[in-house]
Amino acid sequence: MAAREEVRETEVCIIGAGAAGGIMALELARRGIRVVVLESGPRHDLARRGDYSRRFVKGENPWESPLAGIDRHTTGGSVGYRLEWHRARGVGGSTLHWEGTALRLHTDDFRMRTLHGMAEDWPISYEEIEPYYGKAERALGVAGTPDDPWASPRSTAFPLPPFPMSFSDGFFAGACRKLGIALHHLPQARNSLAYGGRSQCRACGTCHVCPTGAKASTDLTHIPQAEATGHADVVTDATALRLEVDRSSRVRSVVYAGADRRERRLSARIFVVAAGGVETARLLLLSASPDFPRGLANRSGLVGRYFTSHPSIDVTGRVAARVYPYRIGFSTAMSGQFAVPRDRQRRGAFFLEFLNSAGPLPGQIAPVSGAWGTALGQRVKAEFGRTLGIRIYAEQLPDNSNTVTLSAGVTDYFGNPAPHITYGIGPYERAALEGAREVAVKILAALGAEGIRSGALGYAAHQLGTHRMGSDPAQSVVDANLRAHDVPNLYLVGGGCFVTVSASPPTLTIAALAIRTAEHLAEVYRGQGAGRRSHRSGSPAAGAIR
Amino acid sequence: MLTLLLLWRPQRLARLVSRRFKPRLDATAPGVLSTREMETIVAFAAVLVEGRELDAQEASYVVEHVTDKAGKTPGYLALYRKTAGLLDRLAGAPFSSLSLERRIGLMVQHRFTEYDVRIREYLLPWGRETLTVRALAVPDLIRGYYFSPAGWAAVGYRAFPGRCGDLMRYTSAEA
Repeated sequence: MAAREEVRETEVCIIGAGAAGGIMALELARRGIRVVVLESGPRHDLARRGDYSRRFVKGENPWESPLAGIDRHTTGGSVGYRLEWHRARGVGGSTLHWEGTALRLHTDDFRMRTLHGMAEDWPISYEEIEPYYGKAERALGVAGTPDDPWASPRSTAFPLPPFPMSFSDGFFAGACRKLGIALHHLPQARNSLAYGGRSQCRACGTCHVCPTGAKASTDLTHIPQAEATGHADVVTDATALRLEVDRSSRVRSVVYAGADRRERRLSARIFVVAAGGVETARLLLLSASPDFPRGLANRSGLVGRYFTSHPSIDVTGRVAARVYPYRIGFSTAMSGQFAVPRDRQRRGAFFLEFLNSAGPLPGQIAPVSGAWGTALGQRVKAEFGRTLGIRIYAEQLPDNSNTVTLSAGVTDYFGNPAPHITYGIGPYERAALEGAREVAVKILAALGAEGIRSGALGYAAHQLGTHRMGSDPAQSVVDANLRAHDVPNLYLVGGGCFVTVSASPPTLTIAALAIRTAEHLAEVYRGQGAGRRSHRSGSPAAGAIR
Repeated sequence: MLTLLLLWRPQRLARLVSRRFKPRLDATAPGVLSTREMETIVAFAAVLVEGRELDAQEASYVVEHVTDKAGKTPGYLALYRKTAGLLDRLAGAPFSSLSLERRIGLMVQHRFTEYDVRIREYLLPWGRETLTVRALAVPDLIRGYYFSPAGWAAVGYRAFPGRCGDLMRYTSAEA
């Protein structure tokens, strides 16, 4: 394929319209900066979500791309990390299917090297990002209350009241009280009341596809507002194939294509890649050039390295009482008590999510019951709704051998090498999972549960660490403002910039960092346009674009 | 040899027999059932899932499941066709034209209600067609029906995943 046409030019090109890209589009456009967002997938209009929800209930993945082979990938390592059901293409990106859990990292999470002699410290502190957490919570509409005794200080209130604890949370609360474990509300980026022009949650139970728009996703919370400024355009079905650099090591243009595979080119002064931890790394690796033979912005050799997620298992047990599961699709209670453990040198942190939906569905009970006719319905009713479950998310240490690289033999829809994901977990993560499992078993045993069992090892849909931030260009890919060390007009935002990952879901931190980077970028951009540069050390605006 | 295996490794033998002789879906193309075939399937499913005639809404759940599976998943059209054909043949008339009692009688007589098939049955040289229906079609129809709103109705839920309702319902026991 050859690039055939120069179709457009803009001030800032953002690749990816998900959590980070969508937020940056609005933050820049509202400041009058001209933005074009290239999104690989389509717009998934809210009007179609009812149909998506029905498909989801039938076990289909409605976010799956219709382009055969676009999501092709290969895996290696001791745990095969598959991307099916773990990402979504389209305006909104992974916020289309995320669970909505909106947790901040803890103060200690930013200082793993200083406090525990492990991994690296972040180049920013909790105190620096804290105001941006508040902004992200307001932008997404987070429902919560500050009842987590282990959380770090916050300067702003949650914008929405918390979702009340569920009926089954009541069981867990009693057991946790006996065991001295703090159980508290789980902050959710979904509307406990109507907020931001979106309706209150209506308990549809299919949060992977929210049919009402009550769950925050950037296709609803940010992109329309960005477009309404008149300064942002979103080009859908536009997959970035490679970035091209000029002689001064600046990105000059992005080459992209749609379903017709015809290459187009977009030029911009600044490029922001926000395509997720896998695709951002792959795009950089696909953009190798004589100046960057190992891949764009990869003089450190760290692009695609330290691929990190959150190992996860569910522990379930059967109780005598009815617990009425599957009435909402999200969890309302958690424990952050183990998110900052004292023995973090030895094992990872973990957090416990008390599930509102666990155990077999009527459609799973019936065909193995052996019953038929009137007895079948009675059997299903008797069996259903007596399982309690606790989900564990464990901290994973960054590991240089967990990587996103280019597949040697498999290509995608466009003929480019597919991503190859090498992933495994080590003793640190296994110790965290084992410690968490012991706590979960104690809680379930205190409830008198029988048949307590751990599910298979899984992993969260969090793809992190592949272009990590840091102060040292030899040990990181981007700086504290998420600008590539090697390429002055290139920003890499999203989960790939995480230095360490704690045990908490990353989306709120991704959002906070995106807002912070947008502020920095806007200030730099304006400064440059007005012929001045900011040099305030430590401020988000430090370091103008050269 | 088989005796030795049975004595030493009964589970391994069971796996071996299951792998070799358990009925399987063939890879025939998806498609659409005829109206008569669908009527037979619905009449069959009614006995299995409720033991009574289904109302129009309940029947629509069966039709939706069967249409979906037959139209999308290779092998299911052939399985449902085989099921409908066998039932009509055993009934000596359209199966759906039989009374509920006669349908129940026929299904019990031919053990269609015993779908937890024993592994040793896989080895029997006769009744292969019936065995296929018992092992594959019956659990599929039961699963499809109980994954539909009918399954949630059986456990007393009016709102469930895919059907929105009162937000605060999750905070207390079901009425």
